[in-house]
Amino acid sequence: MSPRPGSGAAAIGMLATVLLATACSAGPSPAATADSANVIVAVGAENQYANVISQIGGKYVQATAVESNPNTDPHTFEASPSVASAIGRAQLIVQNGVGYDAFMNKIEGATPNPARKVIIVQSLLGLPDSTPNPHLWYKPSTMPAVAKALAGDLSALQPAHAAYFRARQRAFDRSLRPWYRAIAQFRTAFPGTPVATTEPVGDYMLQAAGTRNLTPFSFQSDIMNGVDPAPQDVALQDSFFSGHKVKAFVYNQQVTDSLTQSFLGAARRYGIPVVGVYETMPAHYDYQSWMLAEVQALRRAVTSRISTEKL
Amino acid sequence: MTHLLRMIVEPGFFGNAPVRVALLAGGVVALVSGVVGMFTVLRGQAFAGHALADIGATGGSGAFLAGINPLWGFVGIGVVAAGIMEMIGIRRPRGRDVATGIVLGAGLGLAALFLYWDATFSNTTGATISVLFGSMFVISGSTAGVIVVFSLLALTVVGLLYRPLLLSSVSTDMATVRGVPVRITGLLYLLAMAVAVSLAALTIGAILSTALLVGPAATALRLTSKTGLAVLWSGLIGIAATWLGILLAYDSFYWPPAQHGWPVSFFVVTLVFVFYLLAQLPAVGRLSGARARRARNGG
Repeated sequence: MSPRPGSGAAAIGMLATVLLATACSAGPSPAATADSANVIVAVGAENQYANVISQIGGKYVQATAVESNPNTDPHTFEASPSVASAIGRAQLIVQNGVGYDAFMNKIEGATPNPARKVIIVQSLLGLPDSTPNPHLWYKPSTMPAVAKALAGDLSALQPAHAAYFRARQRAFDRSLRPWYRAIAQFRTAFPGTPVATTEPVGDYMLQAAGTRNLTPFSFQSDIMNGVDPAPQDVALQDSFFSGHKVKAFVYNQQVTDSLTQSFLGAARRYGIPVVGVYETMPAHYDYQSWMLAEVQALRRAVTSRISTEKL
Repeated sequence: MTHLLRMIVEPGFFGNAPVRVALLAGGVVALVSGVVGMFTVLRGQAFAGHALADIGATGGSGAFLAGINPLWGFVGIGVVAAGIMEMIGIRRPRGRDVATGIVLGAGLGLAALFLYWDATFSNTTGATISVLFGSMFVISGSTAGVIVVFSLLALTVVGLLYRPLLLSSVSTDMATVRGVPVRITGLLYLLAMAVAVSLAALTIGAILSTALLVGPAATALRLTSKTGLAVLWSGLIGIAATWLGILLAYDSFYWPPAQHGWPVSFFVVTLVFVFYLLAQLPAVGRLSGARARRARNGG
């Protein structure tokens, strides 16, 4: 049976028709006006931001998070259609920036909405794109700035409830004080504590607590970016454990592979306490209690050599 | 002299634990790839070898997902794929590339799914780069042990099949007449090749392991026409490329951009290519010499 030229052309024509029909039916869906129940629809790219949105917005906001699975690495997250539709509906978005959640920009570009307010934490803090460490939520000064911007944007969306949002923002700022106190106390009690890390996840907090992170940044960024670190760095990192040169090993629970697990094994073997840190907020915490728990875990590691591998 | 040596071999090279494991595992894998690859070239099965290597990405990414050592994923999927290829007709020269291509396409489709899941549902950031381009410097000592065992297995199979393989590689008909079980020989060889590329997937990556399979063998066949000698050369060239590549990767830590070594698989594969080009030189010389003679005679 030899293919007839006529049938080929007809088939191509049919295919073209099908494609055209699909393209037409995939046109813009009706824009959902989500203030039906007078509730602002908001999205946090990571669940720690969604948590702060809820804390400031209270009963007038319904916040969902794109990233909340503690078993995934947000750096390599790929968005699905359901995420795209949630972002398309949102009136208010908080995202980290510094390339950490670049998928958000792509989806926002694909679902344009001039009325949508987007808070990019990187811009809020005035950080350049070249900022090496994107894990901004571990920085003590980050969330008060986010809360302030949120109160402003929420008030613009619902001016009638501006006083409510401002009051909740002040309450949020107050609730961070136990964390700040814990950091300050650690800093004065254990100045220059040497620590090792796998990734720069908790580095902003470690800096605030006055620790000395001995792990070279090249190693941390290699692990963060999913490339194999240089053998020199691996040997150096090993020597921190075998030589008992560090008082704690700050371990990213969300980015693990055979290499980071081998370091975890070395830390256990040499009795170096482990402190687990996270890319997204772990379950059963809110932002403040999570951050406080991290500092307390670090303190336990240094004072009583107790590991807190998982919060 | 010592100074020069220190410049080439950066201090701490041999004392570095990841380097020592890489030298052992990488060297053994290169030897196996070189020896097994000789028959890949003689039998014209480079595409099958490449397909088996690429399909390793399916097993490797699946292993990351399941949380087991990628080695088992690479080897497991390689053996399964080799079996399927043989089943749907790799022994017939006409249908061979089609059978290989079909299995390759299906395998890579699964790899796409597994790598997506690795990124979205599982905390394995490095999976993609590690599966595709290998991670010679993060092989654990116990994995290196398993690599050596599998290598010995593949070498034994090829060693036992040496005569029948050579015969059936030259002429299937002649081999059949001489009583060689051509089909079972072909299947066993395919399995040995699957193991070889799977091990190379661990060191230089699933999509680069073809280079170690085909490159050293092709280079060796340029140097000698004696098959036995060529097998030896092929293994040695593979080892040389791997060890030099490890050395350069270690040294590259001190090159710009500072404090980030260049990937070791890049060096290994590039050296394999350079060796092949160098082996062409005598032939090019003979050719230009002949041209010059012709030009003289004619003029």
